[in-house]
Amino acid sequence: MSEFIPTIGLEVHVEIKSKSKLFSSSANSYGMATNTSVNVVDLGYPGTLPTVNKEIIRQGIRACKVLNCNITRKMHFDRKNYFYPDNPKNYQITQNRTPIGTDGYVEIEVDGIKKKIGISDIHIEEDTCKSAHRGSVSLLDFNRAGVPLIEIVTEPCISNGKEAMAYLTKLKELLFYANISDCKMEEGSMRCDANVSISKDENMGTRTETKNISSIHNVGLAIEKEIARQEEVLNNNGIIKEETRRFDDKLGETILMRVKETGNDYRYFIEPDIPYLVITDEFINDSLKTLPLLPDELREKYSKIGLSSLQIEKLINNRPLNDYFLGLLEFKTNYVTAVNLLLSDVSSYLNKHNKVITDTHLSYEKLVSVIDNLESGALSNKNVKDLIDSLMENDLTIEELKKEFKIENITDDRFIEDIITKVIENNTESVNDYKNGHDRALKYLMGQVMKETKGTVNPKKASDMLKEALNK
Amino acid sequence: MSKYLDLSIKEIHELLVDKKITPLDLVDEALERIEENKDLNAFITINDKVREEASALGEVEPDNIFFGIPIAVKDNIVTKDLKTTCASHILDNFIPIYDATIVEKLKENKLLIIGKANMDEFAMGSTSETSYFGTPLNPHDKKRTAGGSSGGSATAISGGLVPLALGSDTGGSIRQPASYTGIVGMKPTYGRISRYGLVAFASSLDQIGPMTRTVYENAALLNILVGEDDKDLTSVKKEKEDFTRLIGKDIKGMKIALPKYFVSDIVDEEISKRIKEVISFLKENGATVDIVDMKYLDTAVNLYQIIAMAEASSNLARFDGIRYGYRATSFNNVDSMYEKTRGEGFGDEVKRRIMVGSYILSGENAKTYYDKALMVRDDITKEFNRIFKDYDLIIGPTTTRVAPLLGTSKDDPHKAFMDDVLVIPVNMAGLPGLSVPVGKSSENLPIGLHIIGKAFDEATIYRLASFIEEVF
Repeated sequence: MSEFIPTIGLEVHVEIKSKSKLFSSSANSYGMATNTSVNVVDLGYPGTLPTVNKEIIRQGIRACKVLNCNITRKMHFDRKNYFYPDNPKNYQITQNRTPIGTDGYVEIEVDGIKKKIGISDIHIEEDTCKSAHRGSVSLLDFNRAGVPLIEIVTEPCISNGKEAMAYLTKLKELLFYANISDCKMEEGSMRCDANVSISKDENMGTRTETKNISSIHNVGLAIEKEIARQEEVLNNNGIIKEETRRFDDKLGETILMRVKETGNDYRYFIEPDIPYLVITDEFINDSLKTLPLLPDELREKYSKIGLSSLQIEKLINNRPLNDYFLGLLEFKTNYVTAVNLLLSDVSSYLNKHNKVITDTHLSYEKLVSVIDNLESGALSNKNVKDLIDSLMENDLTIEELKKEFKIENITDDRFIEDIITKVIENNTESVNDYKNGHDRALKYLMGQVMKETKGTVNPKKASDMLKEALNK
Repeated sequence: MSKYLDLSIKEIHELLVDKKITPLDLVDEALERIEENKDLNAFITINDKVREEASALGEVEPDNIFFGIPIAVKDNIVTKDLKTTCASHILDNFIPIYDATIVEKLKENKLLIIGKANMDEFAMGSTSETSYFGTPLNPHDKKRTAGGSSGGSATAISGGLVPLALGSDTGGSIRQPASYTGIVGMKPTYGRISRYGLVAFASSLDQIGPMTRTVYENAALLNILVGEDDKDLTSVKKEKEDFTRLIGKDIKGMKIALPKYFVSDIVDEEISKRIKEVISFLKENGATVDIVDMKYLDTAVNLYQIIAMAEASSNLARFDGIRYGYRATSFNNVDSMYEKTRGEGFGDEVKRRIMVGSYILSGENAKTYYDKALMVRDDITKEFNRIFKDYDLIIGPTTTRVAPLLGTSKDDPHKAFMDDVLVIPVNMAGLPGLSVPVGKSSENLPIGLHIIGKAFDEATIYRLASFIEEVF
């Protein structure tokens, strides 16, 4: 018996970052008090008309760029007609016939193999409002009504859950870095529906749609579970029905919501309240001007300046730190040391105080002088650890801080040599242990050196000199 | 009883400037006339604050001839704090919290909204008989229709209740009632006047326009209604102009076209005869009038039925009882709430059009009917443009017959559209069109001449209309 081959396509909705909503001047912000970011346009009051927020079209153009799509130069909006209480006008303004972007791709890598996930189209549309059900009543929060969304539809070219997860991770990284969306699945600013079918031959099987899966991890799980479910049905001579399912993460299974009856009839037609938009070269260039470096561009840049791949990934995963580090590249310093510092002491400080780096007093100039001091041995790593709160919280220069904390690191080699000679004389047993190959003895001796110098000596330098003296 | 309202706007204005009368005198006179002519059913709602507003007007602005003049506003134009029903049960409790853009303009110019004029329910009809609030009557013969859908506005002007009114015209709804009641009604170029706050019937056709006793007053009122509006993307930016500027000029050298279709056998003989008299008069005064062939004019009613119904089915979806308006009292679930609310809230004609429109947009029908209709619509526009290469204006009768008796068109929905057969092509092409009275029939009923102009060339229409008005 031959194996079933799964075919998977994903539909991802992301909320676009913008000051105001897609078709009205209400604020587009998450987490405001219920029904406070609402006006008569969002509520679909009689006689109100949509206006188009140009900034969102710009975001759409940026999305086309980062997802390698062709930009549609002359486009319109369409009405998708359906009745639902969360749909204020009982039609949603979307792009059916002229999506802003077509024929794009996202490149992923799974188990060392690269693959392009094709994107058939991306289009701009308005979000619905949010409904909550309390016993016999339903409540509606219109804050979300009219929030701009981009829907990104892949070709049916994904083969398994792993690929789907890799695609979503990459998509999220791209849209997040391009400042198009926060892509927070837990807040609903990124939502994913998965279409899954299986077949043994060229003909595609009947597909099911699993809606609104709550995390990237769960998308992977839901797809694998759905493939397994469909295989079982078909192996038992059952038939797969076209249906909408949801993923229950407690049960770890997809669950039937509704069977699709005859194909949905949304009675699409061109939105007559919004004239055609013609996208000029100038508008495109202008929109792309503010596009920041994207993750793959950063990876290339960082590896050229000598960062390890671990450091690079850590930086990219920490957007504020990454953006700060990008600024540091304008200065001449040791970037590897800088990244080490940023990812260790600075990060622990930020985590501990729940701050972002831009909220601290760590100016680039100050950071560069810390690195200079570390390089010269005038500051030890331990000193930095001790000083970190002051470094981050006040405007004193390093020299001023050193004075305040009475840090006078010994850089005089003769002095260190004297100490080392003294330690070697007083610890003959350990010296012998070392010479007999016990490495631990070196640590002990080093500890003695640090103790004698009260930690004011550059440990690396001292360690090098100690080894030299012992090996004489 | 005072007779100030029978004076011209200019004369009333002089009295106001000379402090011989106050706006309150005008309002009281209008209210008195409305009360005395209650049987005309011209109004759905009287503005119960209008006397207060009149008293609060302050100093007359000598350069604004509309200061303190009472005006009737069709009840599909939203007015803040003043009930706006669209002549429908479904909105019979709807008090808007916002003004239509043109209502703001009326208020800026210190006009006084005396009340909301009766109309066909959601402007759907040709006789105003679909109103939930009774039928407005034709002051020339109360057994006859005042036309529709702006029947209440026409009745109010023709009956001398107020000197000014606003109507809306989707398929002749200003010009046809103007013709039936012997007043001047202008449907300006699509995009001239903001539609923000006009409850949408067919968005790509709807246009607000002035209805008045004289051509001059019509042009002067248009002066203050026009202008691009940020809230309506279909409104058009144009240089400010004075639409009265060509009034009083002769018509020597004017080139006028008369399409054969407009004097074919669909038009009553008596009306054709009057049109011929008008033509001789125009020729005597130095204009050339040529009979021309124009294609597609006879398709306009069918196109209207497709385009207007399709758009209406979507535009009226928002009336669902959730956020405003009428909501049925007993229902088991959301679907039955929709069904009952809309079933009880809408009248028969509205329901018929929603059903037809939904059918037209369903599945393949969208291509067969709607898309095709849009193509033919383009052809009509091209056909008009072809004529306008050689001619300044196109004329014809506004209607095929004089105002019919009430109750005669209700049983045959299709026949009712035939009242608008001559005016609908203008909406399809988005052009300006005006009806001006050219005397009366043997039954002493008004006959209207229809003047169609180039896009945004309302001024030339007024020039011819005023010249004719002097004589007929």
